[in-house]
Amino acid sequence: MKKKFMSMLLCITMIAIMLTGCSSNPTPENNDGNETSALAASESKDSDSGAGDFAGETLSIMVSQGWMDNRYDETIARFEETYGVTVDLQTIPADQYDDMLQSKLTGGTCADIFWIQSNPFAIESVIVDYENYCINFTGAQWKSVIPEARLDSCMVGDTLYGLQLWHNSPEYVMIYNKTLFAELDIESTPSTYTELLTVCETLAAADLTPWFMPGADGWQHPLPFFQIGGVYEETQPGLYDALNDNTATFADNEKMLEVLTQFKELSDKGYFGEDWIGSDSTNLANEFGDRNIGMAMGNSSFIQQIKDETETQDEFGLFLIPLGDNDTFPTNPAGPTMFGYKGTEHPELVKAFFDFVCTTQSLQEILDNSPAYTNIAVNDDAVEQHWLPEEEEFMQSISEDKMLTSVLQTGTKYTNDYWMDFAADLVAYCQGTMEANDVLKNMDANRATAAEVAGDEAWQ
Amino acid sequence: MNKKKIYPQWFLIVPLVLYAVFFLLPGVLGVAYSFTDWNVRSLGELNFIGLDNYIEIFTSDKNYTAGIFNTLKFTVISNIIKLTTGLFLAIMLKEKLKGKSIYRTLLYLPSVLPFLIIGLIFKSVLNYNNGLLNTFLEFINLGFLKQKWLSDLSVVWKSIYGVDAWRGIGYVMTIFLAGLNTIPQSYYDAASIDGASFWQKLIHITLPNLTGSITINLVFGLTYGLKVFDIIYVLTNGGPGHATEVVTTYVYQLYANGQYGLSVSLNTILFVITMMIGLLVVKYMGKQEVQQ
Repeated sequence: MKKKFMSMLLCITMIAIMLTGCSSNPTPENNDGNETSALAASESKDSDSGAGDFAGETLSIMVSQGWMDNRYDETIARFEETYGVTVDLQTIPADQYDDMLQSKLTGGTCADIFWIQSNPFAIESVIVDYENYCINFTGAQWKSVIPEARLDSCMVGDTLYGLQLWHNSPEYVMIYNKTLFAELDIESTPSTYTELLTVCETLAAADLTPWFMPGADGWQHPLPFFQIGGVYEETQPGLYDALNDNTATFADNEKMLEVLTQFKELSDKGYFGEDWIGSDSTNLANEFGDRNIGMAMGNSSFIQQIKDETETQDEFGLFLIPLGDNDTFPTNPAGPTMFGYKGTEHPELVKAFFDFVCTTQSLQEILDNSPAYTNIAVNDDAVEQHWLPEEEEFMQSISEDKMLTSVLQTGTKYTNDYWMDFAADLVAYCQGTMEANDVLKNMDANRATAAEVAGDEAWQ
Repeated sequence: MNKKKIYPQWFLIVPLVLYAVFFLLPGVLGVAYSFTDWNVRSLGELNFIGLDNYIEIFTSDKNYTAGIFNTLKFTVISNIIKLTTGLFLAIMLKEKLKGKSIYRTLLYLPSVLPFLIIGLIFKSVLNYNNGLLNTFLEFINLGFLKQKWLSDLSVVWKSIYGVDAWRGIGYVMTIFLAGLNTIPQSYYDAASIDGASFWQKLIHITLPNLTGSITINLVFGLTYGLKVFDIIYVLTNGGPGHATEVVTTYVYQLYANGQYGLSVSLNTILFVITMMIGLLVVKYMGKQEVQQ
């Protein structure tokens, strides 16, 4: 009898423990459509929150490699000290971030703060259910810090969701070793593809990697294709609008096919490096400093990082990516943007963090701790910018009419969402397992899928 | 009450219910969802679309069928490598060998490491420019053997098999060792007296008596191979290009892109393949055991 009683008791205990362990935290979907219920519940608890009320809490931030790195360390440490909290910074490898973010959002296990690569279309196409996943920051004081040109990437209609603190340096243009070029009698930077080939031949003959391409990062090698969006628009005026209205496709676009063919030719000739598909960018500064490479894509401000990290005496310069004979500037008023997760248990702490990073002191810290960036695009004159003379010289060399078109991934809908898929297809094309037009067809098919899911009338 | 039974039958009800709710029901629901247009914007409104998802899988330009083929190929080849190597290692380590406990431990250790750690370490080791393997080959004047281990189409799958075998052989070997220890030594002694060679002993004594261990390793190996994800995701993420895509990497990508219906359809196909192969193996090996 006693044995039976004990076994019954143990069974009930086991079930009780298992059911407790299986219970879930409230997710946005559990709030019966009430947009602010999760927020309200926590707000009523934290209504009088000050620095001390958050003591002991942990704020989690999920971000892709490259978007925060060490730049925010000092600011985060000061935030932790100010509020007596711990910040759990979860940095995910770039090629896994998109998948991981979607899993976390749909599974209701997202960090308190998450990032996306945002542009005017991204909140709706990447986050999708932004009303359910993102804290509404409308009315926040820090909105005034964001430049007008970047607000579209942070808002949907009149509702503010995201905070974008990024730089205004020319992004992913060609950085080259001026000193090396002079030593090899390369008199001018290439402005056409033919000139680029000649320069690459000269560098290769000197046993250098002409154009270092970090394919293993998974996201850098499509840049030469997308950053020259202006040349596609120049060749076919109205192309961006047509792509957004679904009256044009990537497939069979002659200029795009030309650019892909040129990219493959450079790969086949070994001008990207012996194993560009397996090489990443972690050592890029040293590759420049050690004079192993002649050129690479990068942000203009990376020049300062090369000089700081390698103590090289060489001079560096900038020029536009010349694939497709491009001469347009990669205008891109978009970038990594942070959002507050609506299912967080610490909404007030999240808001406090957003307020904290937008103070002048924090913005200056973030900029000063960014060896790769020389400026931060904010409406705060008190922040001291560090523009390089090379950047200023480069910007002055480009006429304004060449800056009118944004890059392809920002100017067209649903394109950036399939960046990694395009990257994989591009590698497959370079390895001979896909045709160039199939790469473009896949992009069309992916955009169509995203458009249908979004209920875009242009695709119905 | 049957006094020979230790526990009453109703003890089974709770675990059966839990198993049905947390293991069977999600699987059945998944199959049901595969016939709908479930996606990230569905928000509770699902539409029945019949076999459209399955038609998409077998006709799409995305080449999901290549992923299915890669999965089957990986399953077969990785199991052949691990089972044969594991068996011979187990036979060697059953002999009277000095320090065999140490060898057994060292061989088993990789199988307790998480796939993520193994993948990250080997991604670094196999790097073409700075990886340990190529650097070592250059150091011992075998630089001509350097390969682009994870980015060359002709080598990448061999690298994956190698890493997978490195991790899995110890576990397979341990199962075989347990099986070998149940075979009476007198069988081998009698065979030696009759002049049997090593191969004859292997074929006529060892393998027939190891049917149970082989079944276990085969079933575990096949289900692991068909579900493989971690090692491929960390080493290559389905690349270079789409060369090492398997069913599960496509499932993950589709899920991440919000195409849930298509994702569970692919999973359902995998489930059907796994079930068929698993049943065949168990049935065939069960017959072998009965014939013993």
